[in-house]
Amino acid sequence: MDLLPPDLFSPYDEHTQPQVPIEHYANTVTRNPRRAPFRRPVTRTELTGPLDLTGKLRPGDINLSVVDGKPAQGQLIWVSGRILDEDGRGVPGAIVEMWQANAAGRYFNPLDQRDAPLDPNFIGNGRCQADAEGRYGFFSIKPGAYPVPNSNRWWRPPHIHFSILGPSSLSRLVTQMYFPGEPLNAHDLLILSIADREAQQRLISQPVPTQEVDGEWLAFQHDMVVRGRHATPPL
Amino acid sequence: MSALPNAPLVPLGWHTLGPFFPRSFFSPGDNDLTRLSPDAEATAQGQSCIIHGRVLQEGGGPCVNAVLEAWQADAQGFFRHPADPSHARADAGFVGWGRAWTDAEGTYDFRTIIPGGYTDASGPRAPHINLGILGSGIMRRLVTTLYFPAFAAANAVDPVLSVLPEALRPRLVLKPDGEHDGTPAFRFDILLRGEPHEETPFFLD
Ligand SMILES: [Fe+3]
Repeated sequence: MDLLPPDLFSPYDEHTQPQVPIEHYANTVTRNPRRAPFRRPVTRTELTGPLDLTGKLRPGDINLSVVDGKPAQGQLIWVSGRILDEDGRGVPGAIVEMWQANAAGRYFNPLDQRDAPLDPNFIGNGRCQADAEGRYGFFSIKPGAYPVPNSNRWWRPPHIHFSILGPSSLSRLVTQMYFPGEPLNAHDLLILSIADREAQQRLISQPVPTQEVDGEWLAFQHDMVVRGRHATPPL
Repeated sequence: MSALPNAPLVPLGWHTLGPFFPRSFFSPGDNDLTRLSPDAEATAQGQSCIIHGRVLQEGGGPCVNAVLEAWQADAQGFFRHPADPSHARADAGFVGWGRAWTDAEGTYDFRTIIPGGYTDASGPRAPHINLGILGSGIMRRLVTTLYFPAFAAANAVDPVLSVLPEALRPRLVLKPDGEHDGTPAFRFDILLRGEPHEETPFFLD
């Protein structure tokens, strides 16, 4: 039996993880257990996971910036990078799901009732499968910032939500990607819920020099590490 | 929670804060593990069953738009994954993964097959289903494990269930809940936060 020893999946350093509850975010109060989680031995259920989810979660169009041939409002962006494991190796075939607000900071969702314009040419949801090296990419528009209701004017900086399903139960990550140089980043209560500065930085994408990008896209590079000591924090 | 008469119409936190997955990410049938894809015929070998229940937050209110992801062995206790030494024998008609989401009442359901047990370095694992729970406000995925009441002897020596204090172990055992169109049904309610004797036990991921 040559299964990996459980110690390879040692608990995360708490300083690299968001600490709850978060002020003005009521769901972090009511939905997180009081009791500390129990440490369990790691067996096959945790070491394995679905190798191919494309039957269940079908990859779709990676260009979110156009609907029925009509361009969305906003700055065109190309967001790409690699999905990496705890040793920095690409995670081939990982499913990458993303969703974001439009350029005015509003989600295409009937439940987002904020008084900001909807863009009929922007839905803002995408799903793709990482290639053999773990690479993924989406064409989109830069999301706008939005205020959190009843929060004493906490504004969410522009961000993109990501959900990643790798080939083991332990390589499951839901997180958010931020943009470099945004003034609101320094005040975001989600970023600030993580004590470790280096872990905070893992949430912020890198600008790609404009000379290196063909076409009229601003490009951002963002690698996400699904587990291990250098894991991208979950958000 | 009732709104004040003069309260402005504002979205609640879960409307604007992630993760709230777009509805279009779900297809009917994603929660059916007996099929290889939502529109395929059921091909999994073994005894089918239905697992359903509610996800509740502190105070007993529904946890709306929670995402639940199940992962389990096939009816023989095999996983189609190289980390399982027996993976070559795994059921080709079974993926072992499914996703469900809760509605406005916090209700969810899965259709699946009763998994087999297996033995590895840490001992004999009773038949079980690993469940991950994601939702707005749950920054770190919550994980728990479901056990079947019919395997009491195996449950008693399961190395993961045994990690819990004895009084909490029944909390992770499914409750028989009759039949649904001839398929045995089980109930599993999840309380994310509550008094110690009520709160669902979770494991360190
Ligand atoms: Fe958001």
